[in-house]
Amino acid sequence: MLAFIIRRVLQSILVLLVVGAVAFSMFRFVGDPIDNMLGQERTQADIERLRADLGLDQPFPVQYYKFLEGAVQGNFGVSYRQGRPVSDILLERAPATLELAAVSGFLAISIGIALGVFTAIRRNGFAANAIMSVSLIGVSLPTFLIGILLIYLFSVELGWLPSFGRGETVKVGGWSTGFLTESGLKALILPSITLGLYQMTLIMRLVRSEMLEVLRQDYIRFARARGLRDRAVNFRHALKNTLVPVITVTGLQLGSIIAFAIITETVFQWPGVGLLFINAIQFVDIPVMAAYLMLISVMFVGINLIVDLLYFAIDPRLRADRTAAH
Amino acid sequence: MFRSISLAVAVTVSASALVAEEFRWAETTDPQTMDPHAVNSAAVLGFLNNVYEGLVRRGKDMTIEPALATRWEPIGDGEGWRFTLREGVTFHDGSAFTAEDVLFSYERASSEAADTRSWFAPVSEVKVVDDYTIDIMTSAPNPIFPDSIANWMMMDSGWAEASSAERPDKDNGNFATLNANGTGAFQLTTREPGLRTVLEPFDGWWDEAEHNITRAELTPIQNPATAVAALLSGDVDFINPVPIQDTARLAANDQVKVIQGIEARVIMLGFPHEAEALKYSGETTNTNPFADVRVRQAVAHAINVPAILQTIMRGNAEEVSQLVSPAMRGFSGDLAARPAFDPDKARALLAEAGYPDGFSFGLKCPNDRYLNDEAVCQAVTGMLAQVGVRATLDAMPVQNYWPELRADNYDMYLLGWSPGTFDAEHPVRFLASTPNEEKKLGSWNFGGFSNARVDELLPMIQSEIDDSKRQMMLDETAKILQDEVAYVPLYVQPLVWGTQANIELTQRPDNFFILRWVTVN
Repeated sequence: MLAFIIRRVLQSILVLLVVGAVAFSMFRFVGDPIDNMLGQERTQADIERLRADLGLDQPFPVQYYKFLEGAVQGNFGVSYRQGRPVSDILLERAPATLELAAVSGFLAISIGIALGVFTAIRRNGFAANAIMSVSLIGVSLPTFLIGILLIYLFSVELGWLPSFGRGETVKVGGWSTGFLTESGLKALILPSITLGLYQMTLIMRLVRSEMLEVLRQDYIRFARARGLRDRAVNFRHALKNTLVPVITVTGLQLGSIIAFAIITETVFQWPGVGLLFINAIQFVDIPVMAAYLMLISVMFVGINLIVDLLYFAIDPRLRADRTAAH
Repeated sequence: MFRSISLAVAVTVSASALVAEEFRWAETTDPQTMDPHAVNSAAVLGFLNNVYEGLVRRGKDMTIEPALATRWEPIGDGEGWRFTLREGVTFHDGSAFTAEDVLFSYERASSEAADTRSWFAPVSEVKVVDDYTIDIMTSAPNPIFPDSIANWMMMDSGWAEASSAERPDKDNGNFATLNANGTGAFQLTTREPGLRTVLEPFDGWWDEAEHNITRAELTPIQNPATAVAALLSGDVDFINPVPIQDTARLAANDQVKVIQGIEARVIMLGFPHEAEALKYSGETTNTNPFADVRVRQAVAHAINVPAILQTIMRGNAEEVSQLVSPAMRGFSGDLAARPAFDPDKARALLAEAGYPDGFSFGLKCPNDRYLNDEAVCQAVTGMLAQVGVRATLDAMPVQNYWPELRADNYDMYLLGWSPGTFDAEHPVRFLASTPNEEKKLGSWNFGGFSNARVDELLPMIQSEIDDSKRQMMLDETAKILQDEVAYVPLYVQPLVWGTQANIELTQRPDNFFILRWVTVN
């Protein structure tokens, strides 16, 4: 068990190092930050001086090594654009993204499971078929289009909800939250629907097919034969047994909600880390891009590591295979 | 009796203050710093013009008018300029503005760490005469010096020292990156980079306030569709810019207004004057057709600028014949006509130059720097193909574009130039002088255009005090640049702003949004 964990952790670190190396080798294709940082009246000497100051004249392995050296000590460098430490900026922006991801995740899971159960039980009903057809929109329309459509409907035409931003926020400790004000809550509605729609339809379809599978099982027939009420059969016995794969997928999707918030954040001018990353690309703000990419990969690697360890703990067969192989 | 009158006055004043409102606006880029000397970019200087002030400022028609200096006159035969400062001016923190602050701001803005130091290249010394008089000495007579320092903003020496911000720090930031203390009509109350920046009127401002704003909030919105939706839904009062393709739709809406004008930026095509050979040509080897002036003339005649303006700019721009627009000081009125669109003449010129069948080459173009830049380059490619010159278009984001130009990876390129001094001398210095690193000349002259007479005229223009003599030299320079087709100027870029119908404001060609001219009705 311990050997397995150590091996997995070492593998994860290797993955992180490779992601970082690929990211750093790509940065010079994103462009040159120098022209954005110097004004119109710059000279060639200014350009070369600044390039040397930033270490951009070094080959990328050297730049990467310097980044790693700082990162290990918790220092991600200073943003080229804002002239402030990247870690400060990331901490400032993280609450916005995490709150948005939490609300979207909650919506996706609760509505997704409810609709999944409904469409499985009433599999031939009109409403269930209508929901199934509409859910295709959630899977097939690109996020930015859904976002723009929602803005035009609910902000421009109806005027009910704000078209951009996070509304008023309140500072609780170092955490800025939008949960405590009316405008903050209103501002959450459209972006969280936009971000969660894909996951919602995914969970709904998954629950529906699992549920249909389970409802055919013998123990469900016996439960019905015993004269249990539909409610108890559907929710106590059937739903419980569909949730195992749903939880696995949802856990993995949580990472994508945070990582793919980039598009939603851009459409709604949501001041989170995704928007920060987009701005960093436009400005070739290498320290911000590097820190963001590393954080996202740490998150994915971490989630996968936990999932692997959970499997290992849950499934004895896996344990047997592993030990047999070595 | 008097008491009740003054009470009545007080009531009316507070009533009109109640009518005044909060003003929210959105721009594509957030000003990257609040330090007026750290970054020389339009986004920073335009925003900080509301907070900080210079000795002089530009009025609604771009003319120079007194600000923190009440008057200025040349010293002797042009050894420098004497500025008489306004008395009774205070900074937002209450400290008084004196000549010491001007000297400090000079030292700060011209320091090695400042992005604005090139403005002070002509300055040899700054001398404090008394509390309200300061002499700025120049190494040669400099008639346009007062014009060139409209964006040189005054910072309080005591405030900067107390907060250890004596010098700008672009790389690591300091107190002045996030805080401001100017003399302007508005003071900075909240600064959250990339999120929002809040300004409130400064009660102790020396000038009469024209605006009726009680609070103003800037939010950067990068996505143009989001900005338009925010304007339409009333979440913001002003957006800049409005995407060209949305202008007609917004103009048809009663709730909002579209304000159009002409920016100071001239869009032009540049050539590889110095190159031995074309880089992206199939059939020409070891020759550079663009070195022949007839080929460059042919390019100028082959491009149908009115058609570009009508289709791509939807009638929002104006064609231009020189490196500056007609609104700039020193524009040559007699040379206002562009080469006529004449494909036959272009073909004849090409044949005469030895390219009857034309040739192929590579056109480099940015795709996110100027309004519809890639579409313009596509149109140019099509028009040049009509006369047999076949361009392969390579469009890219601006952060990849400048390195390509610096590495000479182009056969022709698109460039926009906005003269920081609003004077015709500016593009001559940056675009038409023979590149000279030491003298800081021709730093944007990627193609290496070089003309001995232009190089000779530039220092004379820079130091000529007599306006009509100066204009004659500028005319001569403009004539040479036109005859030699150093560049092919195409059009002046449009400015398109959008506001709610109840907002009155003034649009200036430098694309600075000046809050003190805004009225909310």
